[in-house]
Amino acid sequence: MKLEILKEIIKKKENKLEFAIVTNLLTGESEIFEEKKPLSKNFEKYNDQINRFYKSKKNGIVENTDIFIETYIRPIKVIIVGAVHIAQYLVDYAKSLNFEILIIDPRGYFASEQRFPSMNIINKWPDEAFKEIETNSNTALIALTHDPKIDDPALQHALKKKFYYIGALGSKKTHENRCQRLSDAGFSEDEINSIHGPIGIKLGGKSAPEIALSIVSQLVSETYKK
Amino acid sequence: MKNSFDEKILEEANDWIKTNQKVVLATVIQTWGSSPRQVGSRMIVNEKGDFSGSVSGGCVESAVVRECVGIIKDNQPFKKIEFKVSNESAWEVGLACGGEIAVYLEQIN
Repeated sequence: MKLEILKEIIKKKENKLEFAIVTNLLTGESEIFEEKKPLSKNFEKYNDQINRFYKSKKNGIVENTDIFIETYIRPIKVIIVGAVHIAQYLVDYAKSLNFEILIIDPRGYFASEQRFPSMNIINKWPDEAFKEIETNSNTALIALTHDPKIDDPALQHALKKKFYYIGALGSKKTHENRCQRLSDAGFSEDEINSIHGPIGIKLGGKSAPEIALSIVSQLVSETYKK
Repeated sequence: MKNSFDEKILEEANDWIKTNQKVVLATVIQTWGSSPRQVGSRMIVNEKGDFSGSVSGGCVESAVVRECVGIIKDNQPFKKIEFKVSNESAWEVGLACGGEIAVYLEQIN
């Protein structure tokens, strides 16, 4: 692989673009493939096959050829509401899992650069913050403030946009009250039941890193269920 | 749904190159049967045999490192190698899980 291709790949990954690396295993030539962009002469005769394979979002050798494709897809967006202690551990775990993390917290003293170095933090109320974030059914929400003023608007947004994972921190009692508020706000039982509350899988631990681990485990598990 | 679990091997390769190391990229391009790591898994190896990442979770890494150092010495741009199931004798290179993998080695230049 040429060094300039390697550098180009790294740049595209940083910019969260979707693309593929195509390599001719017989000649050693490789190049970057992007949808709707023409391939070079070396690869153009495989154009249709490469396009078809790319749509499957898999890695592998294109059938009956010596072309290897590795596809890069956008990381899944995970929105954390509440720049709290647990969030600091969550951010660490999520980094190695390659989720794209955004933190929302209107309380400046929580959402500080010092507590979350080089993280994408939106220092606004959820209703305002969501105006700046593109979200869809491939987005996840982790609500950690257990303050209805902050969590509830975020949960409502996530339910309306049908996020694939919605989790909310809080005891059973807190969650019951939360469900009641959402019901009063007009959300159906099915919608409300789709919220993971109390959040996380049962690991048994109660410390912040253990709770963060239980949340991230649930998040990964739900990612593959979809 | 699929997430792009990414081990940042290519970024590390770039860092190694910045410090004037020669780097070979090893990529799992095909698997048959049960194999420890999926297609697209990567490791990098320099001319001294230092390595990062993984193509088999430990089963064939030593052989991959030898092959990578070899292609740097011989100035060979790329090479495809295959590994099959190992027999019972300890320390022999092969996949204990009974699978087979093909690994593509390429120098970054």
